[in-house]
Order: sequence, then C-alpha cells, then structure tokens
Amino acid sequence: MAALQHSLTVRRLAKHYGPTRAVDDVTLTIARGQFVTLLGPSGSGKTTILMAIAGFVQPTAGEILLDQTPITPLPPERRNFGMVFQGYALFPHMTVAENVNFPLRVRNVARAEAERRVAEALDLVQLGHLKDRRPSQLSGGQQQRVALARALVFQPALLLLDEPLSALDKKLRAELQVELKALHRRVGLTFIYVTHDQEEALSMSDSIAILRDGKLVQEGPPGTLYERPATRFVADFLGKSNFLAGRIVERRNDGFAYAVDGARFVQDGPAPAGDDVLIALRPEKIGIAADGEAAPNLVEGTIAAWSYFGTSFALIVETAAAGTLQVTVPAWRCPVEPAEGRRVRLAWTADASVPVARD
Amino acid sequence: MDRSAQAGPVANVLAWSVLLFLLLPIGIVFPLSVTDQRFLSLPYEAPSLQHYATFFTSERWLASTWQSLVIAVFSTVLAVTSGTLCAIGCWKLSTRLTDLVRVLMLLPIIVPSIVYALGIYRLWIRLDLLDTYLGIILVHGVTGIPYVMITVTATLANFDPRLEQAARSMGANLSQTLRWVIMPRVMPGIASGAIFAFIHSWDEAVLILFIASRALFTLPRRMWDGINENLDPVMAVAACVMILLSMLMLAGDLWLRRRRER
Repeated sequence: MAALQHSLTVRRLAKHYGPTRAVDDVTLTIARGQFVTLLGPSGSGKTTILMAIAGFVQPTAGEILLDQTPITPLPPERRNFGMVFQGYALFPHMTVAENVNFPLRVRNVARAEAERRVAEALDLVQLGHLKDRRPSQLSGGQQQRVALARALVFQPALLLLDEPLSALDKKLRAELQVELKALHRRVGLTFIYVTHDQEEALSMSDSIAILRDGKLVQEGPPGTLYERPATRFVADFLGKSNFLAGRIVERRNDGFAYAVDGARFVQDGPAPAGDDVLIALRPEKIGIAADGEAAPNLVEGTIAAWSYFGTSFALIVETAAAGTLQVTVPAWRCPVEPAEGRRVRLAWTADASVPVARD
Repeated sequence: MDRSAQAGPVANVLAWSVLLFLLLPIGIVFPLSVTDQRFLSLPYEAPSLQHYATFFTSERWLASTWQSLVIAVFSTVLAVTSGTLCAIGCWKLSTRLTDLVRVLMLLPIIVPSIVYALGIYRLWIRLDLLDTYLGIILVHGVTGIPYVMITVTATLANFDPRLEQAARSMGANLSQTLRWVIMPRVMPGIASGAIFAFIHSWDEAVLILFIASRALFTLPRRMWDGINENLDPVMAVAACVMILLSMLMLAGDLWLRRRRER
C-alpha cells in the first residue's frame, strides 16, 4: 500500500472573508501515511483549511501541494481525495451499496470490478450484511462506517475527515476512535482529521496542529504538545493546567528559580528571556506530601472543593503562595481523605511544570 | 390535551361554512350533469346518463378534450423543463440577481391574466401565432413556470448542500452530480410542479379566449361558448370530466408526497 501514500504541503495559506481572516498565513507539512489532526475551538479556521485542501474553498493566498505538485487551482472533483463529512452526507435515495459504488460509477468502473471493490470496502468497515439498507435505516455509527467505506473505495490519495464523530454519543465515539486508528494502520493512507475534541486528537493522531483565530499555534506529536506546550493557550486547550505567574530570581545552567508572591519555586530547563515567567503545571503532576516530607516545590493550602471521578479525585486547593490550584490525585489509595477545609501540602518536581509563552 | 388548541363553536361553524362554500360549486355540477331534461337543470323524474352518452359520442366535445390534453401535456413539458432548470440555476448561483430572477419568474401568477392576455394578443398578432397550437402551448407553458419554480425551489431549500460536496469530492462532475444526486432529490418537487402546471393549462379560460379563433377549441372555451349560446347540460358533463381529471392529478400529487415522507 506504500505506493499510494502521499504527503501534503500547505504553504502560507490564507483565506479572508472581508475583514475577517479565517485562515491567516498557515504553513503545514503532512508527511506520507501520517494521521494528522487539525485541532482548535470553533472559528479557529480548521474546517476552512480542510475545505481548502478538499478544493471547496478557494484560498485568498498561498498554495497547496500534493507531494511536489501544486493542486490549488484544481476543482474538488479532480483532486481524488476521499472525504468524510460532518453528518456523513450519505445519499438518502441510494442503498448502502449504491452509496459506496457512487465514486466507481462516476469513474465508469466495469460492473464486476465495481462489485468486488464495493464488497471489499464494506468488509473493511464490517458492514457487508447491510448493503441493501437505506442510510435512514442505519444507526449513527453504521452511517459513519458507510461514509468511510465510500470515501476509501476509489483509492483516494488522501482521506479528509471533518468532525466525523461529533454526532455520536460518548461511548460509541470512543469505540470508533479505536476503529479509525486501526483502519488508518490497515489502509496506510494519509489521514487529515479535523476536530475540536482534544481527547480525540490525543488518542488518534501521529501529529496534531493546534489552531487559534486562523493561525497555527503549535504542531507536533500528541505527547510533545501535552508535555511541552509552547503557549498558555495550548496548555489550557489540550488538557487542564494551572498557571503560575512569577519573576525569575536565580538562573542556573540546568534550570532557574522563580518567585510567586514571596514563595520560591524551581524549574528545570532553560530560562526564558526577560524576568517575568509563566509556568504551566498540570493538575495530575501535583502530589500530596506527607508532613515533614521534603520536595523541590512545596505549597500549603486548604481544600476548597473536591469531586470524585471513580479513577481520581479532583481537588480545588486554596494556597497562600500560588493562588487556587487544581489538583488531580488517584482515588485508589489516596494519601488524604478529601474534605472541605482540610489542610494539605502540595508538592511537585522541577521537571513537572513547563514555562509557556503568554498569548 | 391542551384545551386552548381546540376550536370553539363559532370557529367550527365558520370553518365548515368556508369548506362548504368551496365544495358546493363542484358538488352542484354532478347532479346537473345527470339531468333528464334538455336544458341545464336538476333531474325532474329520474337521473339519466343521456348527456354523458352525448358527450362521449359528440365529435366536437371529444375533439375539444383531445385538444385540451395535447396542449396541457406539451405546455407542462415546457414549464417543467424551463422552471426546473431555472430553479436549480438560481439555487446554485444564489446571488441578489437570482433573487430578482425568481420574483420575475413568478410574474405570470402575480399579473392579472387578462392583462397578460392582452399583451400576448398584441405580440402574437405580430408573430403570427394566433390560433395556433404553438401559440397556446407557449403561453400556457410560460404561465405554468411559476408553479414549477415554487415547488422545485421548496424542495431545493431542504437539500443538504453537503450532498453535492460529497458527490464532487468523489469525482462527480456537474452533469453527474445533477443527474445522480440533485435530480433524484428534487424529483418530488418537479412532479408536484408538473401536476400544477398541467391543471393550470387544462382549465385555463382567459388566455385561450384571446388567442383562439377557429382552430382552437379547448374544453374551457367550448364550455364558455355553450353557456353563451344555449344551456346544454353536456357542459355539466364536460365540467365533471375536467374535475375528475384534476382530482386524479391531485390524488397523484398526494400519493407522491406520502411516498416521499416514508
């Protein structure tokens, strides 16, 4: 299947609607066979970029290249990209098999060959037994699979997916995430996936591009983005985060110390330029220290509120030195019994947090 | 159940009166058509089918029925083709200009027919189209366009634009998208429009009076002449035939709608 893989380059892409810049100078390279997610809140320009790649939106500036070939002037029907639409866009007047056959019918594929490929595509999504049903007789998850089979049956150069899971309930969504990832591995195509759901992005992607107000904020593998967010927005949008605004008081080779309201904390890694620093600290990287236990960073506080999630407790802790902190601790063998007003000592290591840019 | 949603006695009486008022003229025609008298009246002694026999053996009445059918069929084809293409074009382009075009296309049902007829009459003299099949088919076809425009535009309003995008993303060109995706979805609207355009031509009585002289004698015109010259009960029979065909068409429309909802 490797011969079918293609890379895609979006170079200095811009799309303006009057004074609004829906996409503002975005450059992005999607490597062959990768599962890349465009992630951002609504209005971030992610769907506009996907529609420009598909050919439905003519960019104001910039170009799009498939491998080394510019495709910007090509109409959608000549790009040969498979696409799964939000709401699936199955043809209601056709059966499942007719829907999947549509791209082959368009290409005048001989009947026997078309039948074989439709059956193959439906087997790929385990829907062979429903081929004579109408879309209205299928569940949401089944319709989604038909849309996938239809987008893959003509061996497209890329697969574009526009929030394909957003209409499904939470449990089904989780199942289909696993299926989509397995499907990606099986067919080996380059997938470009658009979503506003950070969990979807983290669980499926080889690489995530985070967009905000039409601009690309940060791009990288999910782990890197989660552990090393570049800006406050990324840290906040991808998972949860506490933010500590402090002043650098000491610089060392392998780290620095900063002060927040008189309290002193240490941080690994190079210090950013300037005296002011913003530190992002994930709730699950804060631990609860026993009395007398020493730690690189320590604050004392009282539990203002808490909630139980089965796997974990989420605590809201009021501290004098670092303000209000969100803390997530495993529920199994939790070191403290959560109770409002209870005093706790919070501790984290110098590599648990990360400096981020303000935005 | 919400009591406020139920009609009071006044509203009930009003509603039924309106309905009766609408139905009575249709209802009176049938008893008139089975009269045993030689003039337009209710049956005196016993209902009789003699005038039906006259209608179905009279060369003049049968020729008129046949003329009306031919004109209705051809003008329907004309109205459906141009109305559908125009509605789809306006929908696809969807600019301020196409909004204007949509309103212009509705003019034939906004402008009073008598005014329209006068204008056509002047024009047809010059084009030598008076009293010709082509002349009346053109007029009935053009005045039938609004019905097709309205019904097709309504079905297009419910058309999910993503279906068109999906078709194009799979490689379908404009003509394939039109034939395999858009047309099947707007077919019910086209069918409804065709039925209304047909009925419009079938019972049209104003334009034909201006355009026809010797050659054209559609059913409505023949009835009009009959009322002016003598009160032959065969007219009532012709009226029943017209109503029957219109009802059949409407029933067909209802059946199509029912099927579409399923």
